[in-house]
Amino acid sequence: MRVQEPVRKATCTILAGELLLTAVMLLVFTCLGRFDTTVLLGALLGASFAVLNFFLMGLSVQKAADQMNGAQLLPEGGEEDGAEDETDADGARPLSPQAAAARKRMQISYSLRMLMLVAAAVLGLTLPCFHPLAVVIPFLFPRIIIFFQGLHQKKEA
Amino acid sequence: MLEIAIGIILGCCALGAGCAMIAGIGPGIGEGNAVARACEAIGRQPECKGSVTTTMLMGCAVAETTGLYALVIAILLIFVAPNILVGVLKNALASIPH
Repeated sequence: MRVQEPVRKATCTILAGELLLTAVMLLVFTCLGRFDTTVLLGALLGASFAVLNFFLMGLSVQKAADQMNGAQLLPEGGEEDGAEDETDADGARPLSPQAAAARKRMQISYSLRMLMLVAAAVLGLTLPCFHPLAVVIPFLFPRIIIFFQGLHQKKEA
Repeated sequence: MLEIAIGIILGCCALGAGCAMIAGIGPGIGEGNAVARACEAIGRQPECKGSVTTTMLMGCAVAETTGLYALVIAILLIFVAPNILVGVLKNALASIPH
């Protein structure tokens, strides 16, 4: 499957930010006098899984978006037979079958990616060659990167 | 007695980790709903696919952070907290004069 431009661009941004923030984290560890090989290995493991998680999410989103090309949507305000059980909890308009499939795909993808992160975290916390904090902290970097990206875009606008 | 206290600590840590992971359910549901509606938007206006995909991607990443916070808390409760709490308990017991 070919990776599309928006996904590639977003993943590259996250990768660059992750590298930068990991470097900052390592600097902080050095300043605290706690820097050693375990910290470096832990940071590498955490950062690579955080980027991989984002990339896999991008692929899921891309697949879901590709499904909608040429899809038959329900008319505005209308309902089709058999689509009643796909309504939102607040009773909103029913989803088209393609959108419902996209929703299921995304939920399954989320569960699997979460399991992958659990496996990475357990690996990082149980093996002595990884520093526990250095493994866990990079998982939270994408949120910070997106926050700063939003600020940057606001400034540009 | 000490074994019972350690057992209670381990049990409470496991319970806390389980409770923390309840927060992991919400992002999955929300992410799915957001993607479903965004896909419908793409279906209605295929020319906006690029911008909708980028926005959807960032939105999903932000939504997922809540689940990650829960995951980190749960992992710390399972792997890190028991050792610390058992250490505190043993120190407290050692400081009590017999």
